Amino acid sequence: MICWYSLMCFGLTNCGTGMPDEVQLAYQDLPDKVDFNFHVRPILSDRCFACHGPDENARESGLRLDQEEAIFANIPDQEIFAVVADHPEKSELIHRILSDDPKLVMPTPESNLSLTTEEKAILIKWIEQGAEWKNHWAFDAPVKVEVSEVKDTGWPRNEIDYFVLDKLESLELTPSEEADKETLIRRLSFDLNGLPPTPEEIKAFTEDTSDKAYEKVVDRLLASTAYGERWAWEWLDVARYADTNGFQGDPTRKMWPWRDWVIQAFNENLPYDEFTVMQLAGDLKPSPTTEDILATAFNRNHTYNGEGGRIPEETRVENVLDRVETTGTAWLGLTLNCARCHDHKYDALTQKEYYQFYDYFNQTSEEGLGYNGMIAPVLDMSPVEDQREVAELQKFVYALAEKVETAELEKFPREDGLPASESSAAEGLEGVASYALTYEPADRTSYFLGQLGNFFKDKDPAYFGLINELRAAKSRRDRRAAENLQVMVMDELKYPRKTYVLQKGSYDNPQMGEQILSNVPAFLPPLPGNIENNRLALAQWLVSDEQPLTARVTVNRYWQAFFGNGLVKTIEDFGVQGALPTHPELLDWLAVDFQESGWNLKALLKKIAMSATYRQSSKVTNELLEVDPENKYLARATRMRLPSWMIRDQALYVSGLLVDSIGGQPVKPYQPEGIWEEATFGKIKYEQDHGDALYRRSLYTFWRRISGPTFLFDNSSRQVCNVKMLNTNTPLHALTTLNDITYTEAARVMAEKVITAKTDDNDRLVYAFEWATSRRPSSNELTILKNRLNDLRTEFAEDKAEARKITSIGEYRVNQELDKVEYAAYAVLSSLLLNLDETITRQ
Amino acid sequence: MIEKERMHPFEEYQARITRRGFFGKMAQGIGVAALGSMMNPIPSLGSTTSVTAPLGNSLGLPHFVPKAKRVIYLFQNGAPSHVDLFDYKPTLRKWHGKQIPDSLTEGKRFSTMTGKQTARPVIAEISNFKQRGQSGAWVSDFMPETAKIADELCFIKSMHTESVNHAPAITFFLTGSEQPGRPTIGSWLTYGLGSTAKDLPDFVAMTSRDKEASCGQIFYDYYWGSGFLPTKFQGVKFRGGGDPVLYLKNPEGMSRPMRRKMLDDMRALNEINLQEYGDPEISTRITQYEMSYKMQMSVPDLTDFSDEPQHILNMYGPDVHRKGSFAFNCLMARRLAERDVRFIQCMHAGWDQHKNLNYQLKIQCQDTDAPSAALVKDLKQRGMLEDTLVIWGGEFGRTPFLQGNIEDTRNWGRDHHPYAFTLWMAGAGVKPGISYGATDEFGFNVAEKPVHVHDFQATVMHLLGIDHEQFTFKHQGRRYRLTDVHGHVVKNILT
Repeated sequence: MICWYSLMCFGLTNCGTGMPDEVQLAYQDLPDKVDFNFHVRPILSDRCFACHGPDENARESGLRLDQEEAIFANIPDQEIFAVVADHPEKSELIHRILSDDPKLVMPTPESNLSLTTEEKAILIKWIEQGAEWKNHWAFDAPVKVEVSEVKDTGWPRNEIDYFVLDKLESLELTPSEEADKETLIRRLSFDLNGLPPTPEEIKAFTEDTSDKAYEKVVDRLLASTAYGERWAWEWLDVARYADTNGFQGDPTRKMWPWRDWVIQAFNENLPYDEFTVMQLAGDLKPSPTTEDILATAFNRNHTYNGEGGRIPEETRVENVLDRVETTGTAWLGLTLNCARCHDHKYDALTQKEYYQFYDYFNQTSEEGLGYNGMIAPVLDMSPVEDQREVAELQKFVYALAEKVETAELEKFPREDGLPASESSAAEGLEGVASYALTYEPADRTSYFLGQLGNFFKDKDPAYFGLINELRAAKSRRDRRAAENLQVMVMDELKYPRKTYVLQKGSYDNPQMGEQILSNVPAFLPPLPGNIENNRLALAQWLVSDEQPLTARVTVNRYWQAFFGNGLVKTIEDFGVQGALPTHPELLDWLAVDFQESGWNLKALLKKIAMSATYRQSSKVTNELLEVDPENKYLARATRMRLPSWMIRDQALYVSGLLVDSIGGQPVKPYQPEGIWEEATFGKIKYEQDHGDALYRRSLYTFWRRISGPTFLFDNSSRQVCNVKMLNTNTPLHALTTLNDITYTEAARVMAEKVITAKTDDNDRLVYAFEWATSRRPSSNELTILKNRLNDLRTEFAEDKAEARKITSIGEYRVNQELDKVEYAAYAVLSSLLLNLDETITRQ
Repeated sequence: MIEKERMHPFEEYQARITRRGFFGKMAQGIGVAALGSMMNPIPSLGSTTSVTAPLGNSLGLPHFVPKAKRVIYLFQNGAPSHVDLFDYKPTLRKWHGKQIPDSLTEGKRFSTMTGKQTARPVIAEISNFKQRGQSGAWVSDFMPETAKIADELCFIKSMHTESVNHAPAITFFLTGSEQPGRPTIGSWLTYGLGSTAKDLPDFVAMTSRDKEASCGQIFYDYYWGSGFLPTKFQGVKFRGGGDPVLYLKNPEGMSRPMRRKMLDDMRALNEINLQEYGDPEISTRITQYEMSYKMQMSVPDLTDFSDEPQHILNMYGPDVHRKGSFAFNCLMARRLAERDVRFIQCMHAGWDQHKNLNYQLKIQCQDTDAPSAALVKDLKQRGMLEDTLVIWGGEFGRTPFLQGNIEDTRNWGRDHHPYAFTLWMAGAGVKPGISYGATDEFGFNVAEKPVHVHDFQATVMHLLGIDHEQFTFKHQGRRYRLTDVHGHVVKNILT
């Protein structure tokens, strides 16, 4: 290693401190070769790009460090170079980061950013070694390399394992032993189906000594219809699905047929590229089917602001912005949202490119008007006669609208093609009435028509009559339409809307000078030539062979479900500020394989489940706790609490309450009194369902966006697209699973099942324990439970009234033949078992 | 011996870090705390929080000695009318009925309710103003109790914002952005400063509304949400009816001693599992279940006012016994503050007088005046005002001109007005008995010493010992903070 330190101190101006001791020390610990992508760029991005990055408007001193040409060029008008390859002592960047002078040091004190000694050392070494520049890792197409060579060739079961083991061996770690069969089948059942295994299934697996035993379980779970329900939940979080609009009166919408399509898509293993194209642009496919159009409801799942006083165009624009950003997060793993208001500060995405992307989604006929949960464009899925009735009423509306138009041509004379609001006769109008005239009569909502009518009631009774008739017809039509099953979907305007850059992201501040046309960001592969450049082209581009991001981003998100974290921890950000992949070659290998398999999701999930990496025990040793608390290197399986929806499904399943029925209208299970009333000032009352509807999978619970289902915790709020798993631990969770009637009813029904199935204490306890944890209790554990059982018997025997209460919780019928004391004792025990850490954690 | 290919550089580098013990270099030891619930707070290499503060916790907070230990935010949802309550403008009476000067309204954004309204007559205050106390603060007769404690209060008369509608405006006050998705002030503070309350959540939200339910504003749970911070920092909504905290009560038939024994057994079984699996998260869960048990006592204890002397109850007014009323929530706020809950957010709706200014505003004030004043007095008497920050205000003001038809005197209203409004603060670190900033003669625009929402947020942070520019959370590659990229501490209102 050349000691440039000494070189630097001889004969150069600006000779500052040289390499300080602590930097020198850090330098010694660096790897032999410093890598630009993995060591250098993250530093430049996080500490420098804010002022020296892609955003021209924020750029200081004309210096940019985010581009190869720029970083080696001289600083404008000066003979100073930020970086001179091989010569840190000639590189101004190095002088600045080592400087003691607060006026010179970089980053500046005002920025509140700083570099560690490690980071300074890295930059020095990088320059010494030639200052190699590379394209950001995620923007180059993934490459499928040969699997790594490993020492312990007996361990890997598939390609995943070679990569994982290679890393472990380099860290001198060994994989954990394989988990036992009970643990494995339990883990698989939750991971793939969101439900625990039954004792029969466990028995079949433990007794199957064939080589294929494990694979049989995996295949069975992949083929079960519960698979689609489980993975639908995850996708609904990404899709920000809810059953209401989310603002003011929170009107209900009927998007559940789309949710059913999602379940079906997963169960039929619809190839992920087709899954993508259908949802983003199904309506633009040649001869789209009803399914194609239904799938596009994906991008109408956002909130809808119909608040009184809001400006419709603002609502419309907010919705388009949401579609852009959701698409960006779910497929590209890019934080497009940063470029709404200015050039991205870190990734090479300009604001103009943001609006080029926006142009694709700016062509829907949705106008931002209206208030209810069925804003056009909609797909009416009712029976034909119901659709016809609405169509008839709509025809009547059009007829009246024509009359109004004719009247307005006289009343509000204006130039051809302009709306009535442009007429000089419209100048005296007030407020909403004036707004109403900016829309064609047929497009005015009944609220707008009402306001318009009020204004003219006395001033022009004839005109008022026409307006009022139209309003009445519109209301009638809307009321009738509200009874139909109308799903909000995407469409494309015949005459495209013009897109402009919205300055500061403001809907009312377009940069009128330059119309923006659809395109994809320059740092990603271009669109193919000779195609119609529309939303369909965009969707196909997202899943094209050349696209470096989609496959990686998708594989990564599914990996998270099995391991608690993605290979890239920032599931939503694969840009330069995102985390680096812990296993870059593995991620790439899986991404390419996913594409080559025809975007076969079940095959991907099977590969993960079949790996030795997946099958490891999740036991944590002290060494692992110290060396790898987040389980980045996968020397064990990740132990993580189940999502709260799975915990509810489990309780229902184990007790026998769960009703196996796929799809359909959302249901209203138990909820504490007054929740909706409180949130809506009494305007909306929660009307709980009865019977089977109480015991459906949590997926079907009606989701009111302003006040989500109360039995959930650590869940996405469904306000916006969410791709990260959340996992915290608070006493409120404990209260939920201990005291929510869902759980206390399940506990007593479980008790019925236990008492009826077996006759003596031992058998009953073992049976209950096995249902709850998928294993048999040890003798210690059994003793604890037996003692508790006896204690409870005594207590309930002394107070039969309490026994009666606890065994009649919930609406499910009570088995009156059972001895109340026994019943009560087992009810409490069941609740105990359903609350064990082991029961609610995926081990 | 297999000749190993050169290791991927990242792996090599990481190997050196891990071998040396990841934790030696980190300010925060991990220990028993949450394996599974580990989230972002571990500062990345090259921390952006100041680590020089000797007071600092693992996030380096607080940055300096705080004046306030806790905050009670009395949020007046719907936007109280500043010109009728606190901002006395004699010009309004002189101009009553006359069109407000165009120069004021030209080019300004209004909500669609008055956006295209061309007739905009000025409407004088419907109340009567007097100067109060030694400070001479102007308070109208609609708020007699507040008037009596004017010398305790710091009125900021020059507040301003950009939003013209409720949800975005409230979200802006509480999160620093008009669109939901970011953490609220309470979440930032509990995340940053840590837990102080024993057996209670650190961030509690309570809502109430006028009995008349005069307007449509509703409370979204993201008003006390944690945004992109870990969900444990979410505000816990104490409900107006039934159990304050959901699922607090044991099921019928399960006594407290029975629950105790059940938890003991669960603990024993969980400990067996802990031994086998070694996952520290199991330990955390045992603790959380214990906490839930404690909360079953601490929360009902909180809501049981039988230990309050009658004269205190009287101070809060007759509504104090009605669960879910503003008065009830104010007394709860004091009791929560006594138990060291860090951030208490009481939101009261019903101020949105678009059409019913003449009769509804007075009623609204009757509901809120005494309890708000009582809270301040109560805290002061207990010596708690000196380290509690109390805030009172809405999301914007109301137009000095009329919404509606001046002939229709029963339905006068004022529309949303972002350009100027009043907010008051009292307690820890805030100068009592002053009015800061001023509006023009119409109460329309700020004339002196503007205080933007971000400035207000920066100031609140400051009172809690935090430099708002240095307290950030990295999410999606960006270091977010409550004040976005704006905000200046309003130094002249600080003691």
